[in-house]
Amino acid sequence: MYDAPKPRAGVGQKTSKIAARGVQVYYGDTHAIKDVNIEIEDKTVTAFIGPSGCGKSTFLRCLNRMNDTIDVCRVEGDIRIDGEDIYDKRVDPVQLRAKVGMVFQKPNPFPKSIYDNVAYGPRIHGLAETKSDLDEIVENSLRRGAIWDEVKDRLHAPGTGLSGGQQQRLCIARAVATEPEVLLMDEPCSALDPIATAQVEELIDELKLNFSVVIVTHSMQQAARVSQKTAFFHLGNLVEYGDTGHIFTNPEDPRTESYITGRIG
Amino acid sequence: MTQDVMKDKHIVRSFDQELEAVQAHLMRMGGLVEGCLSDAIKALCDKDVELAARTVKADRAIDELEEFVKNDSANIIARRAPTAIDLRVVLATLTIANQLERSGDHAKNIAKRAVTLAESSNLDEVTTAIARQALVVQRLLADALDCFIQRDADGAQAIRERDAEVDAMYNNVFRTLLTHMMENPANITPGMHLHFVAKNLERIGDHATGIAEQTIYLVRGQLPDDDRPRMDQTPTEMTEVQ
Repeated sequence: MYDAPKPRAGVGQKTSKIAARGVQVYYGDTHAIKDVNIEIEDKTVTAFIGPSGCGKSTFLRCLNRMNDTIDVCRVEGDIRIDGEDIYDKRVDPVQLRAKVGMVFQKPNPFPKSIYDNVAYGPRIHGLAETKSDLDEIVENSLRRGAIWDEVKDRLHAPGTGLSGGQQQRLCIARAVATEPEVLLMDEPCSALDPIATAQVEELIDELKLNFSVVIVTHSMQQAARVSQKTAFFHLGNLVEYGDTGHIFTNPEDPRTESYITGRIG
Repeated sequence: MTQDVMKDKHIVRSFDQELEAVQAHLMRMGGLVEGCLSDAIKALCDKDVELAARTVKADRAIDELEEFVKNDSANIIARRAPTAIDLRVVLATLTIANQLERSGDHAKNIAKRAVTLAESSNLDEVTTAIARQALVVQRLLADALDCFIQRDADGAQAIRERDAEVDAMYNNVFRTLLTHMMENPANITPGMHLHFVAKNLERIGDHATGIAEQTIYLVRGQLPDDDRPRMDQTPTEMTEVQ
C-alpha cells in the first residue's frame, strides 16, 4: 500500500486581485445585488453563473464602474483592485477601464480598420511614442487575440468585415491593447458558433497567464471548461463560490445543485 | 425549489427518464446476480449438476446488462453532460455495474466448482459452513442494492462494517479446510475447490461493500476515507506440517 499524494495547503494558491466587500447595487428601488463579498484571484479565470436576472452581469459591471453610466444605478460597499478602492473620488473611470478591460456579448468593433480598432486605446492613453511602437502594440495585441495570422495581410480593411468569431477576437485584442490587468467578459461566446467559441475559449486559457479573467456565461459547460473558480449568483445573492471542479461535482448549496443540474431556471 | 435536490425533477423530462432507465438496468442486473448466487450455492449443497450448468450459462445475461449500462451511461455523459448529483448517479451506476459483473463471475465460478464437487462426498460439513457464509453474503448484496436505490448513506455505512463478518467466516472455512487437507490427502482436491468457493463468496462480500461505498459517494459527494475493518487474516496464515 502507498498513500496517494494529498494536495498541500498553500501550494498553487494565488494572490487576490479583486476584493469586494458588502457590495449592494440598487436600480432605483430594486435591490439587484445583496451584500456580495468575493475575492477574485490573479491569473485565474473566474466564471459567474446564474439564471437571468440573478445579478451576475450587474456585479461584473461594478468591477470597472460601467454602472456609473446608468443614472438610476447606485453602488454601495467596497471594491478594491490591488488594494485600491476603485470607487474612490480620485479614481478616473476612464483610466480604470484601461486597467480593467471589457468584452461584450455582441462583437462591437469600431467602424474603423482592424489596425485602428486595436490602436485606438493605446493612442488615447498615450501608450505609444512612435509609429513603430504602435505597430508593435497592434501586432502583439492581435497575436494575443489569436487573430494575427488571419488579419495580418489586411490590417487596413474594416473590422466590421470580419466574421463574428473574428470580430470577437478583434475585440479581445482591442481590450488587451491597453495592457489591462483584469479582463471582464460578458457572455463573450453567446453570439458565436462552436468553432469560434472553442477559439475564444483557447484564447481565454492563454490570457489567464497574464490577466485575471472574469467571465459571465449562461453556458454552464463553458464555465466548467474555461474557469478555475466559479461563483453562482441567485436573486442578487452570491450563493456559492469555489473551485470549479468542486462546484460541478459536489456543490455545497442545494440552490447551486438545482441550477447546474437543470432543475431550476 | 425544494431543498431535496435528489427528489426534484429536471426541467427536461427525458433526462430524468434516461437516468431512471440506466438505473433500472442496474437493478435488473442486481436481481440476476442475486439469483445466480443463490442457485450456485443450492447446486453446490444439493450436488445438482444440472442447476449448476444452467447457472453458468445465466451469467451471460448479466454481462449483456452491463453492456447496456455502459452504453447508456456513455450516452448520458456525451449528450447530457451531467453535473453534481446527476454526474455522481452516472458514475456510481457505472462502477456498481462493474462490481455486479464481477460478482456474477464469482457466482459462475462457484457453479462450475459445484459440478466438480458433485462427485465427491468428502467435506460435506464444510459445505454447510460455506452455505451459511453464502447467506450472509446474499443479504449483504441485497441490502447494498437497497441502500443504493433508497439513497441511504447511513445504511451503506453499516454494510461496510458488516463485511467483517463475511471475512471472519472465510477465515474459519480456510482454517478448517487446511486441517482436513493435512489429515487426509484425499481431501485436497475437494478442499481446494471449496476454498475457492469460500474465496469467491468473500470477494462478492467485498463487491457488496464497494456498492455501499458508491452509495455513500452518491449521497455525500465523497468516498468514505476511513479504512473499513478487514478481518481476512489468511494472507499471513502459516501452517506447520507435523
